[in-house]
Amino acid sequence: MQGYLIAIPAYNEADFIGQVIIEIKRHMPEVDILVINDGSTDRTSEIARGHGAMVLDLPFNIGYGGATQTGFRFALERGYDFVITIDADNQHDPASIKNLIEAMQTQEADAVIGSRFLEGHYKMGLFRRMGSYLFAKIAMAYTGVKFTDPTSGFQLLNRKVFSYLATGDNYPLDYPDVNIIMALYKMRFKVVEAPVIMREKQGGKSMHSGLRPVIYVIRMFLAILMVLLRKED
Amino acid sequence: MSPWVRILIALMGISLFIVVLELVRRKQFREELSLVWLFVSLGIILSSFADHIIDPIAFALGLTYPPVLVFVLIQFVFLLAILYFSKVVSDLKSRNKELSQKVALMEFQINSLNERQKRP
Repeated sequence: MQGYLIAIPAYNEADFIGQVIIEIKRHMPEVDILVINDGSTDRTSEIARGHGAMVLDLPFNIGYGGATQTGFRFALERGYDFVITIDADNQHDPASIKNLIEAMQTQEADAVIGSRFLEGHYKMGLFRRMGSYLFAKIAMAYTGVKFTDPTSGFQLLNRKVFSYLATGDNYPLDYPDVNIIMALYKMRFKVVEAPVIMREKQGGKSMHSGLRPVIYVIRMFLAILMVLLRKED
Repeated sequence: MSPWVRILIALMGISLFIVVLELVRRKQFREELSLVWLFVSLGIILSSFADHIIDPIAFALGLTYPPVLVFVLIQFVFLLAILYFSKVVSDLKSRNKELSQKVALMEFQINSLNERQKRP
């Protein structure tokens, strides 16, 4: 797997990171794995290193988006051609990576978003389902392309894309979402979807608890508005 | 404007001016950022003497008690100051992110070089 880097942003995922790395190595033994430790207070960094992954230790927590962007910067500096982003909580099944690669090759895409809804069944809370549906509609209205899972963090990006996202504030600090798809489309990158398997979240604190979904939706509308208002870089 | 209201507003402005100057003197407040607050405090002091400007405007707006307009203007100026500092915080957040990413990448590079040196 020449030129591929798997970037895993991780915050306090000591319970799952080892398993994630083991599974990735089982399906893709030759690929480079980078864990971006986002200021974890547990043994995430130590466990990741122990399983043979490269680890970047951020001095403090800067958020999922900031950590992922650090992975892009690493890939850019080290000359990688492709970055695959995978979550550290064992939700993304590494067996589906081949679907992303196949979609990029056959459709000559710049970015492939792994969709949990194209194949298989995934249980999602009502509010989150509504949000996902709404943002999918917005993405379709803007790009003309139907995205079934615009909030997926399971993605394959080529060098052109992650070079752009690695720069400045082109990637949000918190949760990159449908706004990123729209920004990539505006930059004339080709973005497609491919079916992936995602498991239900096991334990841990959900980002979807309490008032967070409401704030998330408001935040996302603002981010979408900014994509529409900003000039192309 | 009654003399007491005038004195109250002027005292507010003077107090703010002195507090800001003292914070700058103690190096607890950067000089360039303090300018905003010094101008705000001067504006508050001046507004206590601006009857001939404030009163006609207040009456034209249907306000029977002109000092209300002064307080509304003061609040608006504070809002602008807060907006300015929000912008400063946003900028700091971006720079903070860049620095932390750079630190992580450099630390990785240093560790890699150290490991290479250790190998026979």
